[in-house]
Amino acid sequence: MVTQTKQNKNLEETWEPKILAFLCNWCSYAGADLAGVSRIQYPPSIRVVRVPCSGRVSPYFIIKGIMDGWDGVIVSGCHPGDCHYLTGNLVARRRFAILKELLEFFGIEPGRVNFMWASAAEGERFANLIKKATRIVKKLGPNTKFSKKW
Amino acid sequence: MKNEIGKLYIELNEEFNFYAPIKDQGNLKFRKVLNPDDIVLDYYNTKIPPKEILFPEMEVLFEYKTDGKNVTEIIERKDLEYKNIIFGIRPCDAHSFTLLEYFFSYGDVKDEIFLKKRKNTLIMGIACNSPKSTCFCTSIEGHPFMKSDMDILLVDLGEKYLVEGISDKGKKLMARLKWLTDAKQQDVKIAEALSKKAEESFETKLDLKDIDKILDPNFEHPIWEEISDICIGCGTCSFLCPTCTCFDVLDQNNQYNNKGRRIRIWDTCQFSLYTLHTSGHNPRKSCIERCRNRILHKFCYYPENYDMLGCVGCGRCIQLCPVNNDLRSIIERINKIKSKKEEKVSA
Amino acid sequence: MSIETENKKIEEEMREVARNLLREKKVNVVIGYTKGTVPLSSTPIIITSENNVDKLIWNNLCYVNLAKYLVPRIPQLIDPEKGDLKVGIVSKGCVGRALVHLSVENQINLKNVKMIGIPCNGIINRKRIEKEIGEKEILELFTSDQDIVVKGKDFEAKYSYDEYINELCKVCKVKSPPKIVDFKDSCLGECQEVKSVDDNFTDVVEFESKATQDKWSYIKEALQSCTRCYACREACPMCYCNLCFVDQNKPIWFEKTTEISDILSFHLIRAMHLAGRCVACGACSSVCPVGIDLNLITRKLEKIVKERFDFISGIDSNKMPPMMDYNMNDREEFMLEE
Repeated sequence: MVTQTKQNKNLEETWEPKILAFLCNWCSYAGADLAGVSRIQYPPSIRVVRVPCSGRVSPYFIIKGIMDGWDGVIVSGCHPGDCHYLTGNLVARRRFAILKELLEFFGIEPGRVNFMWASAAEGERFANLIKKATRIVKKLGPNTKFSKKW
Repeated sequence: MKNEIGKLYIELNEEFNFYAPIKDQGNLKFRKVLNPDDIVLDYYNTKIPPKEILFPEMEVLFEYKTDGKNVTEIIERKDLEYKNIIFGIRPCDAHSFTLLEYFFSYGDVKDEIFLKKRKNTLIMGIACNSPKSTCFCTSIEGHPFMKSDMDILLVDLGEKYLVEGISDKGKKLMARLKWLTDAKQQDVKIAEALSKKAEESFETKLDLKDIDKILDPNFEHPIWEEISDICIGCGTCSFLCPTCTCFDVLDQNNQYNNKGRRIRIWDTCQFSLYTLHTSGHNPRKSCIERCRNRILHKFCYYPENYDMLGCVGCGRCIQLCPVNNDLRSIIERINKIKSKKEEKVSA
Repeated sequence: MSIETENKKIEEEMREVARNLLREKKVNVVIGYTKGTVPLSSTPIIITSENNVDKLIWNNLCYVNLAKYLVPRIPQLIDPEKGDLKVGIVSKGCVGRALVHLSVENQINLKNVKMIGIPCNGIINRKRIEKEIGEKEILELFTSDQDIVVKGKDFEAKYSYDEYINELCKVCKVKSPPKIVDFKDSCLGECQEVKSVDDNFTDVVEFESKATQDKWSYIKEALQSCTRCYACREACPMCYCNLCFVDQNKPIWFEKTTEISDILSFHLIRAMHLAGRCVACGACSSVCPVGIDLNLITRKLEKIVKERFDFISGIDSNKMPPMMDYNMNDREEFMLEE
């Protein structure tokens, strides 16, 4: 009996969430690169999509990600005021605010979709934020509301 | 007896998919019955027409497997052999199945999926003792007690139903139900009286005798602008019409699992994209042309192709149009063109 | 004052303004409401001559948002040779707000529009009454004192007026069209000065306090019967895109099927597109054929925009809507931090 529950617990612990990450080319993608080059460890749960600016990320991408079965979505951009295109992230911030509130209103767990700022020099900060996001998503469990049944 | 519906359900449920009107979120729809107490028979008509049983809003046509590049296997549907019973349907909706059958079997390419399901479906209908004020089946050569499209007809006599087998399939099924008692002569007389009373109680009477002859030459008449000026092009009338059949075909691909499927979903000529060509030209670019198309389809093209009107007189479009663009007033205005034929001007 | 007396007064004043506009040829057409042919509805009507002004009515079933007819989809109202027609519109508060917002988005020119303002006293929630009456046929509906009376072949029912109007009408604060400083000539009849609108959003806060799983079950149950007919989209004056996002097929972002994930994504993205633009007229819920009540989502949209950006759509023609703007000092408490 004891070995069985230990096995079940192992299976539960070994489930890794799959998180879709949109990283802006000039800051966050470079930040992720820096984390890699500096050998900073963070969970291998994210699948990166490089976008020119966080302002390119449309709500369609995020919602489609959730509907297709991704356990979590992260969007990361430059800090406000530091955008390579001057105002892209400011426009994006408004969109994210509304999207986050609407998702929570519709009953999709608020921890699944996260937004963050990480600059090109902040490799360690990037890794820490990914660790935190993975922890949150892992606690929520797999995305069972919207997996394609066929 | 009215309380024997449960017995009917239990006996037929194993062999057939039993569909009857059931309340779903406050709306009456035809659904597969899981509990015979849910069946509602004291009603005028369901909101969503019963065409959704054999022609659902979303239907899988076939599935396929790929090897990454090419399709390797096509998997046809295997669930078309199940037998269905549609219980409690009204004569207008039963007539719509006849029209749907004509549509799906016309020409060289027949719709096998619909026709197979239709062949395996038995229709047990209930006659209308009191039609609604917006019903007009008598205007399209129908009748609230019409039997010709059904397999078995029930008439509500108050405490019991008079059951009549009409087609061979229906008579065979009736013979199986050994607990049905023989009808008395008195019951048949009551049913006939009810039939006459229902026929005379219609408030809506439309003159549709020569409607296709009026519509055909008047394609460019300025009255179409007047008829469609408040239409918003929403699609409610077609989605809730028992005889509208337009559909869109889409492929859904699941590339990660190397498989996919082809589905069809309801479409309507009232959407602005319905006739949009890839060149960008749209022959029906405003509500005027689209409204006109719908009326012509039901009252001019159907008589030309199938010798019957494409409308069953259920009145759903009249009750549920968001802007209350009443079909009855449209038909009245079209009929007026006939009497003003000399004044017909080319716009 | 009983509701019928109120309605009669509104009707007479509205007809007077419309008659004057048509007589003095200040407008080419007047768009208003006339009596419906089915008990629980009213029909929009476009009249061109002052002889037909008596067809205009006001009862509490005028739920269509007439601003929809101005957005360039109805070719009859645009004459390419003479330019846009001058239009008079019977405007309750939400219709007026929609017109102002459409002008902020540069879709219409308020110079060509004359709002015939009326002080709306609420729209009856017809879908709720239909669901409660059930399978009986309603043959007549009218207001009597402070009640709604519903009559059928062998039944009669009474409903309290204040309880059975639309949820949005219960909390409405802009009952007649707002006066716009730049277009004083466009506001005729009863129009009101609106500086700002206070709202506690208690109904939304109550829903938000539920657990995530309860919210999910409630929304899923409410939207399950959607047939994807798009009546809500076509009735909304703000949905005027030439190609709606669900109709896009290069690529297909969201499918048009009736599976729950597709239904939810349609309503979620549509809500997202209406943030800061929705005027809470309730037309989407009133026209839905299966009676889905979208008012909770509408109220949530208003709450988000008011609390974050202090913006109410359609009352100020000079304020930029929040989704067309950005600010360095926006709140970012929702961002992930270490």
